[in-house]
Amino acid sequence: MTAASAVAPVATPWRTILRIGTRELRGGLKGFHVFVACLALGVMVIAAVGALADAMRAGFAKQGETILGGDMTFARMHARAAEPELGVFKLLGALSETATMRTMARRLDASDQALAELKAVDGSYPLSGAVKLEGDKPFAEAIRGVSAVADGMLLERLGVRIGDTVKLGDAEVTIGGILKTEPDAVADRLTYGPRVFVSMATLERTGLVKPGTLIRWRYAVRLPAGAETDRDTLKALRQSIQKQLPQAGFTSLDRHDPSPQITRTLERMRQFLILIGLASLLVGGVGIANAVSTFVDKRMKVIATLRSVGATGRQIFGIFLVQILAMSAVGIVIGLVLGMLIPEFIDRLYGEALPIRAEFAVSPRSLVVAALYGVLAALLFALWPLGRAEHVRASILFRNSAQAIGGRPRGAVVAAVVILTAMLLGLAIATSEPRILAIYAAGGLALMLAVFSALGALVTRLARKVPRPSSPSLALAIRNIGAPDGLTRSVVLSLGTGLSLLVAVALANASLIAELKGRLPEQSPDYFLLDVPKQEFAGLSQRVLERVPGAVFTEAPMLRGRLVKLKGTAVEDIKAPPEAQWVLNGDRGLSYTATVPEGSKVVAGEWWTADYAGPPLVSFESELAQKLGLKIGDAVTVNVLGRNIDATIANLREVKWESLAINFVMVFSPNTLQAAPHNLLATIRLPKETGRAVEADLVRDLGRTYPSVSAIRVRDAIDQFNKVFSKVMTAVQVAGSVTLAAGALVLAGALATAQRRRILEAVILKTIGARRRQILTAHAFEYALLALIAAVVAIALGSLCAYVAVTKLMEVGFVFSLITVVQTLGLATALIAVFGGLGTWAVLRAPAVPYLRSE
Amino acid sequence: MAEPIIQLENVQLTLTSRAGPIDILRSVSLSIAAGQSAAIVGPSGSGKTSLLMVMAGLERASRGPVKIRGRELGIMSEDELAVFRGAEIGIVFQSFHLVPTMTAHENVALPMELAGASDAFVTARALLDELGLAARVDHFPAELSGGEQQRVAIARALSRRPALILADEPTGNLDGKTGSQIVDILFGMRERVNATLVLVTHDERLAAQADRIIRMADGRIVSDETTRVPMRVVLP
Repeated sequence: MTAASAVAPVATPWRTILRIGTRELRGGLKGFHVFVACLALGVMVIAAVGALADAMRAGFAKQGETILGGDMTFARMHARAAEPELGVFKLLGALSETATMRTMARRLDASDQALAELKAVDGSYPLSGAVKLEGDKPFAEAIRGVSAVADGMLLERLGVRIGDTVKLGDAEVTIGGILKTEPDAVADRLTYGPRVFVSMATLERTGLVKPGTLIRWRYAVRLPAGAETDRDTLKALRQSIQKQLPQAGFTSLDRHDPSPQITRTLERMRQFLILIGLASLLVGGVGIANAVSTFVDKRMKVIATLRSVGATGRQIFGIFLVQILAMSAVGIVIGLVLGMLIPEFIDRLYGEALPIRAEFAVSPRSLVVAALYGVLAALLFALWPLGRAEHVRASILFRNSAQAIGGRPRGAVVAAVVILTAMLLGLAIATSEPRILAIYAAGGLALMLAVFSALGALVTRLARKVPRPSSPSLALAIRNIGAPDGLTRSVVLSLGTGLSLLVAVALANASLIAELKGRLPEQSPDYFLLDVPKQEFAGLSQRVLERVPGAVFTEAPMLRGRLVKLKGTAVEDIKAPPEAQWVLNGDRGLSYTATVPEGSKVVAGEWWTADYAGPPLVSFESELAQKLGLKIGDAVTVNVLGRNIDATIANLREVKWESLAINFVMVFSPNTLQAAPHNLLATIRLPKETGRAVEADLVRDLGRTYPSVSAIRVRDAIDQFNKVFSKVMTAVQVAGSVTLAAGALVLAGALATAQRRRILEAVILKTIGARRRQILTAHAFEYALLALIAAVVAIALGSLCAYVAVTKLMEVGFVFSLITVVQTLGLATALIAVFGGLGTWAVLRAPAVPYLRSE
Repeated sequence: MAEPIIQLENVQLTLTSRAGPIDILRSVSLSIAAGQSAAIVGPSGSGKTSLLMVMAGLERASRGPVKIRGRELGIMSEDELAVFRGAEIGIVFQSFHLVPTMTAHENVALPMELAGASDAFVTARALLDELGLAARVDHFPAELSGGEQQRVAIARALSRRPALILADEPTGNLDGKTGSQIVDILFGMRERVNATLVLVTHDERLAAQADRIIRMADGRIVSDETTRVPMRVVLP
């Protein structure tokens, strides 16, 4: 062989690289525990979130028909379907009509009353699934005659039993059964009170169905057996019905998405938790990078040996990449398996509390997404330290000296790291909605990693410049902090990033809770009154004032209607941002007034004159108008009582929703809606000194005198919301603490890496006369200083991230919570005390001889 | 004299440290003919291992050309050097430096595998058989004695039939008897593949077996004795 040809690199087949790399796996997981654990944790969260969402989705798909009460439904407020409309529905298949409304259920002696969610059903109900009663009594039998099936909670509140009679509107209704489960409860939206079932005939007897009553009529259709019920067919059928009844104003749904609201909520939850998983993967990435650095460090002699027998940098990179990929595969598989088991576990614990029964079906998409996140994160963090392995020179084999591997990997590896970063960001953005959330999250995480990397380097440098303290233990601690290959960087990075994320989640939580609790204004009403007949409002307010002088009222006309078109485009064809989508779905409260409503401010355009009699005008809430791209002069079409009304936007209002004053997204000029039959929505604010007994007496009296009026206590409604919200926030915090677990893993890994050096140092110190207490104190000083620095910066950085998230993304006020700060400091101390303490214990117990001999 | 395989002209090696630059090799000029064996001897810190590293292209000379088989090492990239080493130079270390996760067989086959040879394992097996390690092929380094490990290392160094064998204290970690066996093997194999052998040693008896003894002190060659005229051994 000539010398010239000897230098030409030989293209090594990938199989050879794979074969040599596989031999390296014989060492097992040794040195890779933290690597595998970090990766498994992040992948587990992402896979679990995906699997949970899949389970919910599968539950929806399988139970969609039952949840909806048929293959498809058509619903609208106020107006019952007319015969021609019913005729159109009946052509599709079996039909069932239901009506839902809020009302007060009262004891016959009028001594007590409670808000109830009344649901009247026809003989065909339910088309799918079954209503189950306690004692397995048949449902049809229980509502026969003037009877009702009620939720046990209502009976408890009113102190009545089966067989007793309660008053619903004008009708005296006998309790025929106690409700156990209702198949289509989810489709009937959020309910404030317990459910009461009656027949359509009983509903008529109550006298509650009057023009203007807030009542929702729903028509469930089941297609004949054997008919196609796939997504496209049902969508096409719904569209054809909408075309046949263009003015009807029905909102239609089908079994494939029986509750868009829940689907949206689940989707939001999934995205949020994926970000948590991504955060823990990125924090764990620090552990991955540390593990690979340590691995390369430990394999330095092998790498040098490979170099000495002719291996090129690329070959060495390839050989060790095989091992990294194999370890990544182990971590990812563990993460995927655990991730798939978690939903099952959650279902066992909280299955009953979920809106639908989860159906455990593993979706390949979720697994692929989780695995992809894992591969990208593992490679992103492993490639840089692995790339440095190419810098290892064979000369170390002669000198028997450790060579610090530093510097930048070659260009191709740097390019790969950049591409992987872009891919990971791309994947996060692609799987997030709204996209801006992922961009903010990625930005925040990048900032954290950058800040704590720089802080670690800065602290190391500063420690070297600090004048030597007189205390030997403190001097040793400062010297350790300043050591170039010490723990400082990894401890500051892992502890700091984990704590920052936790602070950010905790402060965002505190701000949201403060928003809900603290910003509830002093002027907020005590009661909302639904369905107050216009002509009875004066009498009602007079009656209240007689009992509670000083009570303050507000009232507004209230109708329900559905947005049909914006600027001439059907709402179904409008792609609105997620935060404005709700306005386009289903029916909305509508009102009219001659003057600007309380709690609103006109920010653009002019309010109409009190005697305005021209074409219909509407005032739109300014923020939503902006999100929907609406401006003054644009046309808005709403369907009220089965009639389309075209109105022009005359002005935009800024609304202070949190004042809890009566307000609406759309307020019309009086001439537009006042001819339509409707009731009033009213609020009562009671003087502060009003006692509970007087309040209860007032509500009882209102119920007796105005049986069709429903009174909702604002505090009860808010409490109920808070209860649900606090559960959600607890779940969020638990999920958020996963990132801290990742941080703890990284910390443990970093401490373990430095353990051997620590032991050798301690052994030498002991040999030259240092007492255990001195070594212990030195370690305590070192860890305490590092934990304090990391925690202080974490609090600042976490607060900044929470501030941006709360004010820019959630658009609520930021509240700084001192408790959170104290908790963070406590947690940092606890973590470092546990991990550092365990490490120091091992250091102090280590026998001297083996370490001295091996050196 | 045969054509030189190693040519060094006024080679300087200066390493920088916090305390300042240290001259490791000072104006070293050396020429070793193909097929010759040379022993580099000298006290610790005299620069003998550094000289070996410069010859292997593991350390770049600060000044002066280093040519192996006519190729100037100073102008080659790290990867070019690695490929060149793989093809032309076999190195034997004092501490053996076998890859602990690979068997004896795999360790010997490794350089050939990296070079893309299809018969890597067949050749490796033959070499191990020749060195009396037939029963140890599937053993890992930790399961072999020091002498056995060094025999595997020699087999690995010779696996690609290099023109030059560099050995750094090949018997330094072995007892006297095993050391003698290794020396016999090393010299025997060198003759068998007709390679040039340069070894660094403290052992005068070992040095005496070489064709040349090059003595170093303080980074300089202080003497260069020829003990016998090399003979080219032609393989059948």
